[in-house]
Amino acid sequence: MAATITGGAAKVATDAVAAATGTGNAAGVSAVSGASQVAHTGLALVMDGIEYFITVPMVYLSVAFLLVAIAAKLVRSFRAGPPPFQLALYPVPRHPLIASLRDTFGMPQILKIEPLFWFFLVMYHVGFLLLILGHLDILSGINLVPPESRHMLGAGAVGVMVTLPTFYFLGRRFRDANRVISTPGDYLLLLLLLFLFLFGDLMSWGNSWTASGFVMTKADFARYFDGLASFSFADPRTVLHGAHYHFVVIHVLLANLLFITLPFTKVVHAFFSLPLNLVRRQPWKES
Amino acid sequence: MEGILSPAESAALKELFEKKLNGVMRMYLDTCARCGICVESCHVYASMPEVKYTAVGRAEVVRKIFRRYFRMQGRFAPWLGEVLEFDEATLNAVYDAAFSCTGCRRCMVHCPFGIDTQQVMAIAKALLIGADREPKVLSMLADMSIAKGEGIEETRADYAQALKNLEGEVKAIWPVPEGTSAIPYEAKEADVLYVALAGSHSIVSAAAIMNAAGEKWTLSSFEAVNFATFVGDSGKAKRVAQRIIDEATRLGVKEVAVVECGTAFRYLRHMIGPQKFRVVAFVELIDRYIREDRIRLDKSRLPESVTYHDPCQIARNSGIMEEPRRILRAISDRFVELRPNREENWCCGGGGGLVAMGELDFRMKSSRVKADQLKASGAQIVTTACENCHSQLSDLNEHYGLGMRVEFLSHLVAKALVLPGERFRR
Amino acid sequence: MADYETKKTLDYKGLKCPMPIVKISQELPKVGIGDIVEVLTTDPGSLSDFPAWAKTTGNQVVETRQEPGLIKIYVKRLK
Ligand code: SF4
Ligand code: SF4
Repeated sequence: MAATITGGAAKVATDAVAAATGTGNAAGVSAVSGASQVAHTGLALVMDGIEYFITVPMVYLSVAFLLVAIAAKLVRSFRAGPPPFQLALYPVPRHPLIASLRDTFGMPQILKIEPLFWFFLVMYHVGFLLLILGHLDILSGINLVPPESRHMLGAGAVGVMVTLPTFYFLGRRFRDANRVISTPGDYLLLLLLLFLFLFGDLMSWGNSWTASGFVMTKADFARYFDGLASFSFADPRTVLHGAHYHFVVIHVLLANLLFITLPFTKVVHAFFSLPLNLVRRQPWKES
Repeated sequence: MEGILSPAESAALKELFEKKLNGVMRMYLDTCARCGICVESCHVYASMPEVKYTAVGRAEVVRKIFRRYFRMQGRFAPWLGEVLEFDEATLNAVYDAAFSCTGCRRCMVHCPFGIDTQQVMAIAKALLIGADREPKVLSMLADMSIAKGEGIEETRADYAQALKNLEGEVKAIWPVPEGTSAIPYEAKEADVLYVALAGSHSIVSAAAIMNAAGEKWTLSSFEAVNFATFVGDSGKAKRVAQRIIDEATRLGVKEVAVVECGTAFRYLRHMIGPQKFRVVAFVELIDRYIREDRIRLDKSRLPESVTYHDPCQIARNSGIMEEPRRILRAISDRFVELRPNREENWCCGGGGGLVAMGELDFRMKSSRVKADQLKASGAQIVTTACENCHSQLSDLNEHYGLGMRVEFLSHLVAKALVLPGERFRR
Repeated sequence: MADYETKKTLDYKGLKCPMPIVKISQELPKVGIGDIVEVLTTDPGSLSDFPAWAKTTGNQVVETRQEPGLIKIYVKRLK
């Protein structure tokens, strides 16, 4: 079993883990999540069902949908054929591919025109990549952060890296011309992301920056993720205890919603930026 | 509801839209993040700040139609993307977007994804043609070009006579040996087919320069400009260009040199696919003559300070940027750059057919930044390499009282030509 | 060379592309059907442009005359 690292809170958490895996004592469980021990009836039972649906089957469905829809979109766009003539801009850079990569990942145009926006964009996109990494890290097979750690990757900082810029992006949408060009969908997408991040922050900040922690540790989440990865269809409720559980469910729900809507939003720029920048930088071969 | 098109009309427009949806276009329509980076790029917005005059503002009109007819949200949540139906108001917005855009592609330089608003506007223009709302003057000019191609045999002799009458003006700049033509026409064994415009100003200086360089050239029967591209009719544009392709092929020339006209050059250089000949801009030819020492130029004839306006279709959209600068440095010690310049130069504001359409009031208001930029250069002469830019710059010069002189690059070069044995300053 | 009365003389000398054609298409409707206007120009291209334009718009170029430095085109409004 994991060693007690930071006193009481960790001890409790470790106990919870132990309890869930059946190696600890039953008292540990009731101490942490007494509420869950009460037999559910009526509405509570319905809620349990909904929460189970959100945290397990819906996750599979939305991830599958995301992959299929994105693939379909890519195939459709790439198979629709080339434009009638080449659309490059001049002067042509010496290495068009490198220039396109630079455009895509460095966004030099934005740096020049709106440096603050660029700063937040870079922070956000780097944060987003770390976020994906941080979630993968939860799987027990990957351990960038020690499995027994209370923290997840970045100890809450990654959450800040995406949350702060999202606030900025949202505020920016209300400014000048940006307000006029923004559609309701643009605001909704940002709000969805914002709430998704805030609930995520609640977990990671709670674990990292409060004395008692978020109660659920990386190891707890690992059990949930491993369950998903192994298609065990186990109810995460059995490994994630406490009243905070509902926050986890909301976080997962928002993530599911994002997965489902993402292929229909401008987030597809993640896939189209490089091809489009190549169109701009690489002229067709002259005859 | 009032103003809504009949289902058949809508369906026809939808079909026209769909024809334009190549892979890149689909990505242009799906990718825009509405980040607003392109807002300040457009000279129209920079001169008269209304969001409908930004690149993204224009493209959104087309995207809102796209979302309505080609995206699921158009059916399930139309309010999400504020979709537009085909109706009177939409078509008016489409017109405003398309024909207030000069197709300069300055916005494409700044967009982080490189979205080509001129391409997105190509959809708008196709829809307007479908709805019979395109600017009639542009289609009339395109039709004229096509009819000219069909009837050329009937007018060829008159044209040839007019060229003969013009030879004196060419010889006044550069004499040719007795018995040779100063404006070769239908010349077999020519290496270069020079495609001019209707006006003698597009022929005389160029002829003198090519004669001075000892070029084996011949003049085209046709005007280089392609008004069908302005109106957005790709079918007609092909037919207009085909006249020149056929002529060049028949004469067996190695190169087609395009007069100082941006649209003509970009179309022939980049949009007609591989041919048996190369397409060069006339400024490229001048630059080549200078570098090969085939013409000599006297710097002392141009004492004024001079700047250069990069025509959008020749510079950022076709890559001719250093040639005109080398030429200007060969005829002047007082060349100054406009700021910004090259691919970031402000559009003159006359592109996209606006000059032909008249639109003087809009052209002047929407190009205030251009006038400011010209004034800030402090130059006495502004040169350019595009007929359309020249017209617009002349109008700006007058309207804003800039007190400059607007010149074609080729005219300044012709004036600087040094005759054999003449003394000159390099 | 037929003799005819011209209603109007339009001076298009030295205009830039495509102004002569744009202008004639605006000016011709101002004279009566059957009337003839005289266009003065220096553009060699006009000798093919005007007939082609007339054909597409249903009007007629009745005659062209030229001398060094000047081209005269006689356009008859038919529509
Ligand atoms: S810069 Fe590009 S992505 Fe941003 S709003 Fe303009 S067109 Fe859209
Ligand atoms: S192409 Fe030029 S005129 Fe059109 S939106 Fe872009 S910057 Fe403006």
